Amino acid sequence: MSSPGPETPVVLSLRGVSKAFGAVQAVRDVNFDCRGGEIHALVGENGSGKSTLLGMASGFLVPDDGEIEIDGRRRRRGSPAEARQLGLGIAYQTTSHILDLSIAENLYLAAPGKERPTYTRMAGWAASMLEEFGVDLPVGPRVGALSLAQRQFLEVVKALLARPKVLLLDEPTTALGPQEVQQLHALVHERSRAGVGIVYVSHRLPEVLQIADRITVLRDGVKQGTFEAAGMSEDALVAHMIGRPLQQAFPKREGEGRGPEVMLDVAELRGDRFGPVDLKVEKGEILGIAGAEGNGQERFLRALAGVERTSSGRVSCDGVELNTKSPLGTLRQGVVLLSGDRMQESLFPVLSVRANTTIQVLRRLGPFGFLSRRRERRTVNEMASRLRIRMASVEQPVQSLSGGNQQKVSLTRPFLRGDVKLILADEPTQGVDVGARFDIYEALRAKANEGVALIVKSSDPLELAGLCDRVIVMSRGVIVDEIAGNELGEQRIVEAIVGGRAAKVQA
Amino acid sequence: MRFRGWIPLVLLAALIVAVSAYTAVRQDAFLTEYNLNNLLLATMPLALVAIGQTNALLVGGFDVSVAALITMCVVTASFTLKPDETTFSLFLGALAIVGVGFATGIFNATLIRVLRLPSIIATLGTLSILEGASLLLRASPQGEINSNVIDALNTSIGFMPVAFIGVVLFVVLADVWLYRTRTGMAVRAVGLDETSARRLGMSTGLVIFLAFVVCSVMASIAGFYSAAQVQIGSPIIGDYALTSIAAAVLGGASLAGGRGSFVGTLLAALFLSLINNVLPLFQQPAEYAQMTIGVLILLALVLYQAPELVGRLRTSWGGVGRLQTNDGEAPTG
Repeated sequence: MSSPGPETPVVLSLRGVSKAFGAVQAVRDVNFDCRGGEIHALVGENGSGKSTLLGMASGFLVPDDGEIEIDGRRRRRGSPAEARQLGLGIAYQTTSHILDLSIAENLYLAAPGKERPTYTRMAGWAASMLEEFGVDLPVGPRVGALSLAQRQFLEVVKALLARPKVLLLDEPTTALGPQEVQQLHALVHERSRAGVGIVYVSHRLPEVLQIADRITVLRDGVKQGTFEAAGMSEDALVAHMIGRPLQQAFPKREGEGRGPEVMLDVAELRGDRFGPVDLKVEKGEILGIAGAEGNGQERFLRALAGVERTSSGRVSCDGVELNTKSPLGTLRQGVVLLSGDRMQESLFPVLSVRANTTIQVLRRLGPFGFLSRRRERRTVNEMASRLRIRMASVEQPVQSLSGGNQQKVSLTRPFLRGDVKLILADEPTQGVDVGARFDIYEALRAKANEGVALIVKSSDPLELAGLCDRVIVMSRGVIVDEIAGNELGEQRIVEAIVGGRAAKVQA
Repeated sequence: MRFRGWIPLVLLAALIVAVSAYTAVRQDAFLTEYNLNNLLLATMPLALVAIGQTNALLVGGFDVSVAALITMCVVTASFTLKPDETTFSLFLGALAIVGVGFATGIFNATLIRVLRLPSIIATLGTLSILEGASLLLRASPQGEINSNVIDALNTSIGFMPVAFIGVVLFVVLADVWLYRTRTGMAVRAVGLDETSARRLGMSTGLVIFLAFVVCSVMASIAGFYSAAQVQIGSPIIGDYALTSIAAAVLGGASLAGGRGSFVGTLLAALFLSLINNVLPLFQQPAEYAQMTIGVLILLALVLYQAPELVGRLRTSWGGVGRLQTNDGEAPTG
């Protein structure tokens, strides 16, 4: 499609907006506009001010300075209700669903007065709305029973109910697999053809380049420029985002610790919604797991860590049968899981960086069970500089760190434990900004070079292609493809995922 | 309302019928006009305060100050509803009592919404202040309450107090509002997930503020019926704080907010009064009533949570994986 010309009306305009939180200037004097029918992407690292800018546009935050116009009308008060009334719709990354209410009820609550039917006609109306926006969901079930991807689509429909002039999408694809991303993009294109201005916030640059007409880059709260997407490349965008060209996106595969010995040997492993899986991972190898969301990858990975139950099959690690009955059993045998849900399963959000780092190795940090605070701090500071953790002090609560730094804190644990043989990383860079990603890749590769085996489950094919030595593709709980050597590339992985459902199970 | 919402109502109704039938067969004194009238009148204060408490629970809070507020209202009544006052000054006196409730509600709501104190702490403070104030005003039970007012409050048709009919109508309408209108749904949404509700453009602060004001006003109305029972300015009135929470929870309200039923709360209040009414008929000590109520509350909570419990057990059976859903309903797909 051709991008709309300058004659199309501007539906969202931010003029010279600034916002500070305490001493931190989150956004500084930013101009941003979106025209009707245009898809305008907003990119930047975490903490670059994207969320603050969205918050101000949607009325959730009041700017310290500057003006905001929606559909040509100036916003007076800062309230989500006013912004919506003026013609702004927003789909939140963390969604705005009431999980205990049904899909129909959630749609009903989200609809503005004039769109809302009487209560008795709610179900039929909700079904017609879902149909209109091409989202195939029943209206009766609780939203809490939906998958994350389904919730994301529902969130977009909710934002569209008020027939907005401008639609803000905040990281809409984090929970989506490649096919679902295409489905969402189709919906977005359709709305933009209908004249809706779309502001698309994402850290997935290939997606952004694919869908956007224009791209605005933010760095440290300051706008770095607005560019026509047609003339942009990923490298150039990254350079604007981090302020320097990214030397090399992935660490080199040196193969230092790579030995012919097998570290992990999985035979005929079955569990809830996966299996049978046969797999060998060598010492020093990074194995990637790809697949569309919900095809057993996560369950398989978690089963290896003893977090999910297995029903049959054998797993051995370094020649010893692995006790996958409990997380403690696998941990004792040197298996570390980096959970995809960091805040819930890996970290203690309110505790400090220090406490989160040392929690598994406290015994080493002082005599007779008493902690030596000095020794603890030294250990943490060493780890922090090695993994480049950016923090105010070691006493800062982990929940106040950026996603990347949180992930680095959970990564300190396999580094501190001396006996690690296998690291299972579930979406290691989800919610992690570009700069910190490289640090994490490097840390994972460093462990591999020490002879540790790694399995990385990721929904980002580019990441798998760059980081891993070998990638397996799972579909419906079984391995349907294996990619290694010169074959290993983003394109090939995506093809395998998309074609995986039809592909035959390989022996 | 979903199926699970009906469980408390059906269960309580069945219990009330069963206990009544059993007692009616064994004890002739039970089905008398006098006893039934007494039972329903005794239910009134608890029913009213528990309805108020249901509002606080719906938005995810507690109000433990209601007990002291009822006492304060009874003490106030002993000053403003004296015998041989004119009808007009009695009217003003009644307004004063509701005014005490309204002011307490504003005070609580301000502590909770504006100053952001946890509701249990805020209302605990209020409880202490009101208790002290009541004792200051009436160190011991004294000050007779106008008998005309008491008679008016206790007006009955046969065994049925008129006020009880009013409460029944009120709870039915309140449940229709809560489960069959958008504003009712919005209130539940605020209790279930405040952040999401705010993102959807609801005035969550106002909803929570009003819930606590309504809770206190209901407690002050309960004060009238409490005054009608004790008939004197007593600074020691029964513990309505925990009983009102118990009634609301037995009636299906969730301590986490967003779930509850006014009809269920009334049924639970009636059931609790019934237990207190029948045990003396069987010459059982009143202490048994308290213990029975405690056991029943625990049993009810376990039963209401059964779907969630089953889901949780199933999950832990399948390893220590994350819960797929918030309760026991199976995920679709």
